[in-house]
Parts: sequence; C-alpha cells; structure tokens
Amino acid sequence: MSDSIISTMDLTKRFEDLVAVDHLNLNIEDGEIFGLLGPNGAGKTTTVLMLTTVIKPTEGNAVVGGFDVKRQPDDVRRLIGICFQEPKILWVSNSWDVLNWHAKVCGLSTQERKTRVKDVLESLNMWSHRQKKVHGLSGGMRKRIEIAKVLIQRPKIAFIDEPTAQIDVIGKHKIWNMIRELRDAGSTIILATNELYEADILSDRVAIMHKGRLMVCDTPKTLKDSIPGGDSVEIQLEKEVTKNVLEKLKAFHEVVDVVNIDPNRLRAYLNNVEEVVPDIMKLFLRSRMPVKSIHVSEPSLDDVFVHYTGLTIEAAEQEGPARRHK
Amino acid sequence: MFLQYKFLIIMRAIWFAAQVAFFGLIASRMVVPELADVYFEYYVAGVVIMMLYSTSVFIGYDIFEEAEHGVFEYLLSLPVSRRELVLGRSIGGGIRSFIFIGPIVAITLFVIGLANPLNFLIAFSALFLFAFGVSGMSITIAVGLKSGDRFDILMGVLNAFIIRLSTTMYPQVFVQDASQLYAALTTINPVTFASDLFRWGVGIEKYLTIAPMPLAPILGLTAFFFAFTFVGVTVYEKRLEGGGWQ
Repeated sequence: MSDSIISTMDLTKRFEDLVAVDHLNLNIEDGEIFGLLGPNGAGKTTTVLMLTTVIKPTEGNAVVGGFDVKRQPDDVRRLIGICFQEPKILWVSNSWDVLNWHAKVCGLSTQERKTRVKDVLESLNMWSHRQKKVHGLSGGMRKRIEIAKVLIQRPKIAFIDEPTAQIDVIGKHKIWNMIRELRDAGSTIILATNELYEADILSDRVAIMHKGRLMVCDTPKTLKDSIPGGDSVEIQLEKEVTKNVLEKLKAFHEVVDVVNIDPNRLRAYLNNVEEVVPDIMKLFLRSRMPVKSIHVSEPSLDDVFVHYTGLTIEAAEQEGPARRHK
Repeated sequence: MFLQYKFLIIMRAIWFAAQVAFFGLIASRMVVPELADVYFEYYVAGVVIMMLYSTSVFIGYDIFEEAEHGVFEYLLSLPVSRRELVLGRSIGGGIRSFIFIGPIVAITLFVIGLANPLNFLIAFSALFLFAFGVSGMSITIAVGLKSGDRFDILMGVLNAFIIRLSTTMYPQVFVQDASQLYAALTTINPVTFASDLFRWGVGIEKYLTIAPMPLAPILGLTAFFFAFTFVGVTVYEKRLEGGGWQ
C-alpha cells in the first residue's frame, strides 16, 4: 500500500511465556484515524510501545514514517507523539511545567510553547489548574494533561492510548473533537481503545485485536455490514401479517431471517438495512398493510467483536492474553 | 525539584557533621600527635568525596521511582537518542549532587582553608567528571538489575569496596603496609582520583597517591566518565524492553 505511513510485518512481542503481540501485520494510511480495538490484554498497548520504540519487538519488524523501528529508532521518535494509557507525568511538577518541558524537548520555540500550552490547557478546561502539583489532580485531570502533550506537540504520527479513560462525558466530546482537529491538521492518529463506541465514531478504519492477534481490519461500516443479518428492522403493522407477504419479505436477498414476534409485529434480520428498507415499505404498501411503526437498528462494533471472536469484550477481558504452551 | 530530597539532604549533612565531629576528631587522635591535624584535614576532604559519591548514586533510585510511575516509558518515547538520554541523566544527576554538597564544600573550605584558588577551581571542575561518572554507573546498574531491592543491596556492597579500597579515609602508604593488592587497587579507583584531586585543590598535598597532579587523576576521571556513559547507553538499549521492573 503506497500511502502506508505505518506497516508492521509479523510484529511479535513475547514476555517469557506470554505472547503479547503475535505476528501482527497492519498497514496504516497517512492522515487517517486508525482505531486499534480489543479488550485489556489484547496487545494494543504493547503494539503502541513497539511502534513508538519504547520496547523492542521479539520478532518481525515495523516501519513508521519510512523508518525502521529497530534500526532507526531515533528517526521514528522525531515523528511521533504518544498519549499513554496511564498518565506518565513527573509527579513533582505542576501542569504548566510538565507541558512546557514536554514542548521544549519536542523542539517548540519559547513563544510557540507558551501559545500552544495556554491554548490547549484552556480548551481542556485546565487553565485554572496550571499551577497545581500534578499529584494533587484527579485521575481525569491527569489524563487531560497526558493527552495535552500530544495536542501541543502536533506530531506527524500521534499514538493515543485510551484517550478518554476516566474523563466525563463533556470532556470526552471535547477530546474527540480535538483528536479530529489534529487529524484534519495533518496528523495520522493511532487510537488504541477498548471503548468500541469511541472507536466507531472517531476511526476511519479499525483493527480488532484479540490475544495479540489481528482478527479483522476495515472501516467500521464495512465491518458492521460484514455480519450476516447484523442489521435488524422491527415493523409494527395495523393488521395481521399474511403468509404471502411474509414469503415475499423473506425473498429479498438481503433478508437473512424473519421472526413473527406477535401477529401484528415482525422482526427481520438483514444486511444493508438502509438500502433495503424503502423496498420493504413499498412491499407493505402494495399489499395494503399499513405500517404503524418501524424501528431500524444496526450492529455496533461490540457485535463485530462478538462475531469475529465468539466472545463479548467483557468475556475476552476475563480470558486474558495468550500464553505459549511449554 | 530539589526540595523533594530535603529530608535526604538534611540527613546527609548531619551524617557529614557526625563523621567530622566524632570519627574525624577521635580517629585523628589515634595517629602520632604531630600528624593529628594533617589527618583530620585529610579525613574531612575524604568525607566530602564520600558524600559526592553517595549523592551521585541517588540517580539510580530515581530510575526506580520513574519506572514505578511510568515516567521511564515517557522518557524513552521522547525525540532524543538513548545516548542523549543517558548523558542527560548522568549530567543531571552529577549537577544535582554538586548542589547537594555545595554547602558542605563551603564548610570544608572554612575548616581547611584555601591555599591556591586556581588549584581548587581546577580540582572542583574536574570533580564534575567524577559525579557524572558515578551517576552513569548508578544508572547502568539500576537499569541492568531492574530490581530496587537488588540495587540497594549491590550499591551497599559496591560502596564498601569502592570507598574502602580507595584513599578516601587513609593514605596509600598505610594501605600498602596492609596489602600490596589493596594498594594496587587504590591506584585504579576513581574515588582515589577524586579524593587526591580534591586534596590537591584545597592544598593538602601530603600523602597524595596519584602523580603527576592534576593531570593523572583528571585523565582517570575522564576515562571513568566516558566508560560509564558508553556502558550506560549500551545497557539502556539492551535492557529496556519494557516491564520487568521489581
């Protein structure tokens, strides 16, 4: 893929008998928000740490921004910025010092530092807390400081691990918008999260990981559409549905199954619901069966995860990471 | 930043005062009366180097604190090379230890006096290399072991060897009387280089081990600094695989 800004080739990391990442092959395109999804222990954070040169792969390799993570780690680090899952902050400092120091190490000029640190702190509602010692801040505030580092740095490639963990709903929306703005300003964003809704609304493409392995990778829509009968439409009719109409409904090639919930109400499991609903409505109108109400639902990425792993994300978390048989 | 160590600094200052006021004063009475004052000054200068050594080792404990708070991973992700990182930490640790012992050096100068300010400036500047080297050594051992407990124990043992097999507390002529091997080891010990250099700087030129002064100890300390910076970078790159910190 010519536009790939990150490519991994059988990227593997083992910690003794634990296989954290298992022969991962990924291509991430320039300028996209790429969601790396999976339960805790799926290998997302380890993947991020290898791509950011914090830890070395046991096997395989990766190219980040055209540089080999094993042979050119210094060049890789010049392109990246990272928001860690757990805030990594010098605990003795205040918010302003932490961010100003980070911006300085990343090469921002004095004036640029002042402006960006102030703007980002204000946007994250942290300006009034800028002189407080970091260890005196709540978990959510420390997480804001952690994400502020990336937003101030504006790296070519930003790795953001669990961006809104411990953050309130209003804060989440603010951070999501700021991540989109970062992407629009030219950054490629790798978003590691176990919040599937967050990945769904932010990501251009997502990769689902389970036990260190890549299960599937595509756009959220394609993944959701890939579940046979994943969409559903529930129709409440004015009168009892006839056998003839039911047969016609089942004959649509998008329809996988139809269930009669009661004589006047039925639920159809189907693919590409948004394309087929007008035809279904026409069928009922032509058959002189007035529709009282209609409720359409699409699968979520949770359903995609269940489809590809056979487990809910909670059950997968309980299973934990993969271990090698000795 | 330095204030987080205020308890440690105060305790070290008390330790210095106790060493000088009790051990230094009493032990100097054990030597022949005409050399008692010379030994007292000799010992006070040695204690300064012991303090410089022990405060430069602090950086290793910082590494464990950083690993615990995850700051370590953050530092490793920054756009700086591993060499710059190790060098920055060694130099930072060395400068910090100089700030810690600054008041003690001032007290020492007050006790001993200052014969030649230029010699003192040369010696004092060269001692930075010693502090950076010890910091580099401490970082190397901390990263190599990845265990706070083992680090603590090993540094205690190393301290016993590196301080006792140096001329910090006693002149080499007496070491030689005890053992030729011990005497040989004192001549390649960076703590001896630092002690001799500091004594030369403050004008205590009786019983110096290394010659010619000040070139020989400065070269020795330069080699010590570069060796541990190089080893530190190598160990950093080999051992930092993330996790495994105890």
